Amino acid sequence: MDFKTTNEQDLLANNIIKFARNELNEGIEQRDANSEFNRREWHKCAEIGICGLTFPEEYGGGNADLSTTVNCIRALSYGCQDTGLVLALITQICCGLQLHLFGKDNQKEKYLPPIISGEKIAAQAISESDAGSDVGSMRTTAIPHPNGYRLNGTKMYITNGPIADIVLVIAKTGQSQMAFRNLSCFIVTKETSGFSSETNLEKMGLRTMQNSGLIFENCDIPAEQIVGNEGQGMFIFNEMIEWERILMAACYLGVMQRIYETTVNYAKTRNQFGKPIGQFQAVSSKIADMRIKIELGKLIIDKAAWQKDQKIRSTVESSIAKVFLSESLKKICADALQIHGAYGYMKEAGIERDVRNSFAATISSGASEIQRNIIAKLSNL
Amino acid sequence: MNTSEEVRQFILSELINGTGSVDIDDETELIESGIIDSLGIMKLLTFIETKFAAKIDESELMPENFHSIDAIRALLNRLNNN
Ligand SMILES: Cc1cc2nc3c(=O)[nH]c(=O)nc-3n(C[C@H](O)[C@H](O)[C@H](O)COP(=O)(O)OP(=O)(O)OC[C@H]3O[C@@H](n4cnc5c(N)ncnc54)[C@H](O)[C@@H]3O)c2cc1C
Repeated sequence: MDFKTTNEQDLLANNIIKFARNELNEGIEQRDANSEFNRREWHKCAEIGICGLTFPEEYGGGNADLSTTVNCIRALSYGCQDTGLVLALITQICCGLQLHLFGKDNQKEKYLPPIISGEKIAAQAISESDAGSDVGSMRTTAIPHPNGYRLNGTKMYITNGPIADIVLVIAKTGQSQMAFRNLSCFIVTKETSGFSSETNLEKMGLRTMQNSGLIFENCDIPAEQIVGNEGQGMFIFNEMIEWERILMAACYLGVMQRIYETTVNYAKTRNQFGKPIGQFQAVSSKIADMRIKIELGKLIIDKAAWQKDQKIRSTVESSIAKVFLSESLKKICADALQIHGAYGYMKEAGIERDVRNSFAATISSGASEIQRNIIAKLSNL
Repeated sequence: MNTSEEVRQFILSELINGTGSVDIDDETELIESGIIDSLGIMKLLTFIETKFAAKIDESELMPENFHSIDAIRALLNRLNNN
């Protein structure tokens, strides 16, 4: 067993950290306050290959395995204080992955290059107002129609929704009671008649990321826009969500590492009662707990990514990674703020933004409670 | 034990454990009857891939391939022949 990253992976990660610090952080306070997505930064990330890391070179991708990709995402979220941007990029990667793994050749040829180059922005639309954790209860339908399907329904909270050029929509195509026989995945482009996106939702955190409702009103979708086959939607969703959970966990790990280092520095330099606050056990224990979470989080992410690279199913491990890293992120952010005292509570310190951002981690891509249900269900109880 | 029997035993012990005596023959509808749900399928896939050392390609991840023991056996035969 080898825990060491390769020289090539280290070099790549270091370059990404430098790039992120130099190019992505300026004006983050303002963009956060204004809920502003910055296309210039999006394109810069795409230019250095972030959107295409895992895809074959023939489509303009970097041909990296998931272990390398995870390392890059971690480096990006460590260097980049705009976590909303990193998560928007992860959505882009996950949309590309669905097309790469399940799409037909002509779909890959048409859609992968602009997704990889960042020229087109992609979104994945599964959740609805009344169907969140219970994906199978969704109401959006795709009814057979001459030459294809007619799509009707409204999706909710969709990342990249207001700015998306391409949307991968999961909709019901059958009458079966059983969701995973019933769902199919469609490519909808923004020009499609009957498709519209609502305005950006004001969020507590991750404010630079754009989220909205998406409306599909009698959208006629040609049959060739179905991803995979009719009835394959739940399988596509299950596969994509494993990748998404691992990539999101990697993003959280990078943020945790950044906050941990900031907090260690602060605890070493902030003096009270004649000594650095890091000398007080109540403070140093919190920092030790941060370190424990980072080390253990890294191991489970590396295992899950390795499994995917070996084509081993990673349902349990990706759920463990998601639940562990998201809950750790929330705890580390809260502890970092506490250790920074009043200064941490001020906007200037930047920590309150990470605290606000962290609350979405245990909700999106399957809430913690759902992850535990999955882990329990697959634990031979 | 042949393939169908191993799959049947797995379904009985892991997917419908504790739900009383259920008869499953080779043609019993596993999806519509709710025996395999969206999480159950993940359990079944992991079982098939480890027990039979099979790699199920994305294109084979279709409800049709898992809706009965017969369908699962046919899938495994196909994978073996490839
Ligand atoms: C920032 C952000 C980005 C998002 N981006 C996207 C996107 O790009 N595409 C998309 O499709 N969706 C997106 N979502 C939606 C997200 O997938 C859902 O929020 C998530 O699936 C949970 O659904 P819900 O919010 O409706 O909560 P609900 O399902 O209503 O759950 C509410 C609470 O009840 C708990 N609960 C529900 N069922 C159970 C159960 N069986 N056992 C135990 N507890 C349970 C939940 O864990 C949660 O705590 C996003 C959400 C957020 C916050």
